[in-house]
Amino acid sequence: MANIVSLQKVTKNYGQGEVLTQALRGIDLIVEAGEFTAMAGPSGSGKSTLLNIIGGLDRPTSGRVEVDGREINTLSKTELSLLRRERIGFIFQSYNLIPVLTALENAEYVLMLQGIPTAERRERVREVLKEVGLEGLENRYPRQLSGGQQQRVAIARAIVSAPALVLADEPTANVDSETGRALLDLMRNLNEEKGVTFFFSTHEEAVMKRARRLLQIRDGVIFNDQAH
Amino acid sequence: MNTLHYGWRNLWRNTRRTCITLAAVTLSTAILIASYGLMDGLMQHAISNATNLVVGEVQVHAQGYRGDHSIYKALNRPDLILRAAKKYDVAAAPRRYGYGLVAVGTKSAGARFWGVAPALERNTFDLAQRLEEGRFLSETSQRAVVLGHKLARSLKAKIGSEIVVVVQAADGSLGNDLYTVTGILKASGDSIDRNAALIHAADFDELFVSGGRIHEVALNSRGKLSIERLTEVLSIAAPEEETMSWRQLLPEVSDMVNLFDVSILIFGLIFLLAAGMGVMNTMLMATYERIREFGILKALGATPWRIIMDVATEALVLAALGTALGTILGLAGSYYLQEVGLDLSIFAGTYSVAGVAFDPIWRATISAKMVYLPVVLMLIIGLVASLYPAALAARLDPVRAIHRP
Repeated sequence: MANIVSLQKVTKNYGQGEVLTQALRGIDLIVEAGEFTAMAGPSGSGKSTLLNIIGGLDRPTSGRVEVDGREINTLSKTELSLLRRERIGFIFQSYNLIPVLTALENAEYVLMLQGIPTAERRERVREVLKEVGLEGLENRYPRQLSGGQQQRVAIARAIVSAPALVLADEPTANVDSETGRALLDLMRNLNEEKGVTFFFSTHEEAVMKRARRLLQIRDGVIFNDQAH
Repeated sequence: MNTLHYGWRNLWRNTRRTCITLAAVTLSTAILIASYGLMDGLMQHAISNATNLVVGEVQVHAQGYRGDHSIYKALNRPDLILRAAKKYDVAAAPRRYGYGLVAVGTKSAGARFWGVAPALERNTFDLAQRLEEGRFLSETSQRAVVLGHKLARSLKAKIGSEIVVVVQAADGSLGNDLYTVTGILKASGDSIDRNAALIHAADFDELFVSGGRIHEVALNSRGKLSIERLTEVLSIAAPEEETMSWRQLLPEVSDMVNLFDVSILIFGLIFLLAAGMGVMNTMLMATYERIREFGILKALGATPWRIIMDVATEALVLAALGTALGTILGLAGSYYLQEVGLDLSIFAGTYSVAGVAFDPIWRATISAKMVYLPVVLMLIIGLVASLYPAALAARLDPVRAIHRP
């Protein structure tokens, strides 16, 4: 399998001098295409920082980060935007849908950025919304959807452009356990049936058990990496 | 969904704020269109009064007459000028000028006598219709005089009053005669109001023993020929004479017209700045409220340029909607001001600026320029006002923005 993510000795510091915080301390990591990897750790362990760096939202202090064969540090802001647009999908903890857009329009947004013609993107979005169980709810606004339904829209938005990698920051943290389980089933199915690579953070035991690979991180260091 | 669609939806996130800004843009545009119409109306009125009332588009004098109004500085070949005017179908009024004293009873005053051909004067200019009371001169010599209204007032002259006239004639003799007031002019510019005594050309020639000298031919094509073309035609027809356009004859009015374009631009910019600040405030508030959302959009792959486009489009939609409503309102106001006008008679009667008389009813004109200028200015200002909030949104750090509470 090809490497989707490759990190070598990645560090990330915030602040300086006496208030220097080392969020990541020399992370080495390879994520291959088709993986369904969870990263677990307590608050402040560096999970979000690592996700942000892999997603090109933040830059490392030192070390080398490659995503889909491109070295993050060498890319301009616009090139990073384009990398995220074309190759990375994001799922956020608190859904982060755009309130003035319907479920269909939210899921469509990335395709619109990619310049895909309206008819084609509508067809793709309807298909994906059906896959995530939102058929018939396409024209609802986020306020008209439950938390679980909103997160399904977020998943649809993340996968609709067939990215090389989907990054999810505690995707089940804001929903009840039953909904969380359903969301995880959905992500797992997408991984198994469509080969979507998922890399997500969590601190929930149930979620960790469903991952095929579990990374444990504490104080900016991955101290355990095991396959299930 | 496209950028326009997205911008439109975003506008209505905060309906009250958008409506207030929309009202500001609408009113600014409407007021500007109506006031531009009024100002343009004033300018058109000034030009029309300057050219159609008495001055004409072009005047021809003997060389040096403008600096020395001597009765002897007459046109050498007025016939050439009148022939050229006839050839190009341009109305022309030959005039004689002389100075003297007029008296009614114990009241006396200095006067400038105009020897005019009543039919030509009536055909060329509006002065013959501009009478406060009485009638203009008849076609035949009748020892009649039409007075400027201030001169009539200072003499306490009324229609039918007999005026004693004393002048220095061209032959050195003292000319004197008795004239009857047949008309008193409305306000027509300060020099006419205070000094003008219009008499028949034949009476003038007899009174001043001037031998038919013509001092001025005033021409008015009423727009049939451009000023430049008319000046060129007359300069060729009578090269030894001095041909001057109304812009040279009335430099204050000409300057006023020239300054008009600049002044309306400055006036518009100042006025629209307030509306622009409103748009900027709305867009800034909208940006600050949506910092987290902009972070999400950036995470999803929206480039900084795309964010700028989104914010600018939103501002443009707001400005365009306000401008469209303002244009409708402004045109309706302009139409009313064109048809009914502003009656300033309670503040002043007929008044004059730079020697040009203005009616107390101030009317607007409706022209494309008076509409597109405020519209274009408003759209530009709306766009410029969005650039600062757009740049703020585009420069947001996505990680910080997403984690903003």
